[in-house]
Amino acid sequence: MAKILIPTPLRQYVDKKDSVDVTGATVGEALNALTTAHPDLKKNLYNDEGKLRSFVNIYLNDEDIRYMKKESTPLADSDTISIVPSIAGGL
Amino acid sequence: MIQIEPEAWQVMVSHAKSTYPNECCGAMIGTVDGDVKTVKIGLAIENAFTGVQHERYELRPEDLMKADKEARARGMDLIGIFHSHPDCDAYFSETDLKNSCPWYSFVVLSIYKGEFHHANSFLPNAEQTEAPKEELKY
Repeated sequence: MAKILIPTPLRQYVDKKDSVDVTGATVGEALNALTTAHPDLKKNLYNDEGKLRSFVNIYLNDEDIRYMKKESTPLADSDTISIVPSIAGGL
Repeated sequence: MIQIEPEAWQVMVSHAKSTYPNECCGAMIGTVDGDVKTVKIGLAIENAFTGVQHERYELRPEDLMKADKEARARGMDLIGIFHSHPDCDAYFSETDLKNSCPWYSFVVLSIYKGEFHHANSFLPNAEQTEAPKEELKY
């Protein structure tokens, strides 16, 4: 099973676990399995149109899936998925 | 409420002063107990914005991943982000709001003429439309 690391503020939606093991052939399937098992998490990651929120980046191991095959990126049991926000700002 | 321990606070203020007149940025690692967040470690992170850094900052997601890994390794949590406003008050600007994330506390340090002036913490919402102030102790 692949592992999804859960950021601290989202652990309240996954029984306070810091990671969740999921099955899936792709990153998208794994994320779907995660949000199906923990529905309250979904609105934190996806907007009303069902797309990942603008500030949400998904990394497979150390690579941004945008530069791979996005949510169709194949997943192996040894893989780790990270949910990483985009953060910037200024005056 | 978010409280920042002296050692972490010193790192944050030093980073803001040393990068002046540019904006600095970094991560805050600590613990959460109910409604109280305690920052024990301030992590200075390089401002990755490629333009004029006097008015902008950007955190690389890779650097945030490293901060999160460090927090996990220490048995703590990544609980916030900080950045500075050079020669400007510590408010949450429209640019801050439109590039924020609702998962973390956002501490803004006001630096005037290279010296720390004041700070505030904000909690942006998921829609990036508002960021109410959070009680901050340092």
